[in-house]
Amino acid sequence: MLKFAGILLVLFAGTMIGFLQAAKFAARPRQIRELLHALQRLETEISYGQTYLPEALMRISRLVQQPLSALFANIAEALMADAAESGETVRECWQRAINAYWPSTAMKTAEKEALLRLGSTLGGSGREDQLKHIRLTAIQLQAEESSARDDQYRYEKLSRSLGMLGAALVVILMI
Amino acid sequence: MPQRLMELFPTSLRQVLERMPTEAREVLEEIRIRENRPLEISFGSRYAFVREDGTLTSSYREAFLPGKEQCRALLERLTNHSIYAVEEELRRGFITVSGGHRIGLAGRTVLDKGVVSHLRDIAGFNVRIARARAGFGAQILPDLLDFTARTIRHTLIVSPPQQGKTTLIRDLVRCISSGEWHHPAARDWGSRKVGVVDERSEIAASEKGVPTFDLGPRCDVLDACPKAEGITMMIRSLSPEIIAVDEIGRPEDAEAIHEAIHAGVQVLATAHALDIGDVFARPVLAKLARDGVFGTYVFLSRTGDKVKHRVISAEEALEATSRRFSRTIGAMPRDAPFDPIIAKAHATSTSPTQVTVKARQMPVIRSPALQEPQGIDHA
Repeated sequence: MLKFAGILLVLFAGTMIGFLQAAKFAARPRQIRELLHALQRLETEISYGQTYLPEALMRISRLVQQPLSALFANIAEALMADAAESGETVRECWQRAINAYWPSTAMKTAEKEALLRLGSTLGGSGREDQLKHIRLTAIQLQAEESSARDDQYRYEKLSRSLGMLGAALVVILMI
Repeated sequence: MPQRLMELFPTSLRQVLERMPTEAREVLEEIRIRENRPLEISFGSRYAFVREDGTLTSSYREAFLPGKEQCRALLERLTNHSIYAVEEELRRGFITVSGGHRIGLAGRTVLDKGVVSHLRDIAGFNVRIARARAGFGAQILPDLLDFTARTIRHTLIVSPPQQGKTTLIRDLVRCISSGEWHHPAARDWGSRKVGVVDERSEIAASEKGVPTFDLGPRCDVLDACPKAEGITMMIRSLSPEIIAVDEIGRPEDAEAIHEAIHAGVQVLATAHALDIGDVFARPVLAKLARDGVFGTYVFLSRTGDKVKHRVISAEEALEATSRRFSRTIGAMPRDAPFDPIIAKAHATSTSPTQVTVKARQMPVIRSPALQEPQGIDHA
């Protein structure tokens, strides 16, 4: 009886690990897509609205879903509040927030690098220049998105079945 | 110094500025921040450098040097982290922040077809602190009244930079729109509707359209609006009885003022000039003055913390100039090494208010091409 319960637990855990992994593969392209929408929105705020950066980021944070929403809200708050520990310039606030929130997203280092590069120029130059930088980042993200979709297509189902089968293997070996 | 002003500075700079002696902070006029160069302040018509611990010194070698990162952080705070949103201000070379303080900028200009398109690599800041001085207008307003029309006469406030023109016009606007005429005969006049065309956002220091300085209850402000256009817009839609504008000097300003005075609106304006001779030497002002537009001229001059004023009427002004200058202006060779108009104006001024400003040298005018920009110089 106890053995049977153990088998069930191992099987359940293995399946769950597989599902979680699959969910991560599915979430990455979705989050990149959201990031692209956010950048597009930022572009509009800068070119037509001429909204100030903190306010623009705050608006974006209300449009996108978690965990990106929290990321943008955090940057906006750091810019509005004036505290030495959160950084005085956009670059510092941006870097700190991204480093803190990145583990909670499904995205990888390539996207992070692209965003960090954007952060070091954001707000620091004229409108035309800003738009160019945002578009450049968007292009990089689009490339990452297509590779993320490839990965999803290839590994999503695989990791799901691998999790369950792996658990079954463990069970068989232990019996 | 108000706390709001301190919030403009990034923490590292603020820590230095907040430790300055209180007596200097209370009369502070300018804070000059230059990248990797000594931090300078001017207060009560004096200047000093600031050490890292906030104490003042006259030796620039001991002064605190703001670094590149601090200047970048300051610029970001001034522009609310959004340089793209203040491109127009960068083109003009200054930013006005909440509270009416104006920050002049120095850096590398970027040209577009020969015209300054904006500034980049900004490495110099001049923070000019704006102050409301209630009661300043009360001394002058009684001299500006027109008792038959029960309002003020067309007035031009004249002084060199940094003598309190904007402070005065702000307090006059407040007095007029709240009906404080400070004259026994004017007690039952009531107040007047005042329209302020605030091109540099210095008079009202509007924040999202609402003035942050007290301009009285019956005052409308067109914020950041070019003066010439603003005056016409005001007349058309806001029915002001008095229009106040700061720093006139361009030909289109003069045209708009002509429009206004013939639309039954009283005009209250300021301009940069030293004395009546200067007024008649600046093309646009001279034209307005000779057409008899202004009924009164107010001259300001300052020594230390005291601002002195002199009010003269148009008749006196014309009399003072027509005999001496009006004919000589056209006939005088423009590349004369020394401007005789100014010399005479100085020689004739016996009032004590003029003594303090005698030292100011007029630039040598060498050619008509160089004299032209003088007329439109309004900063």
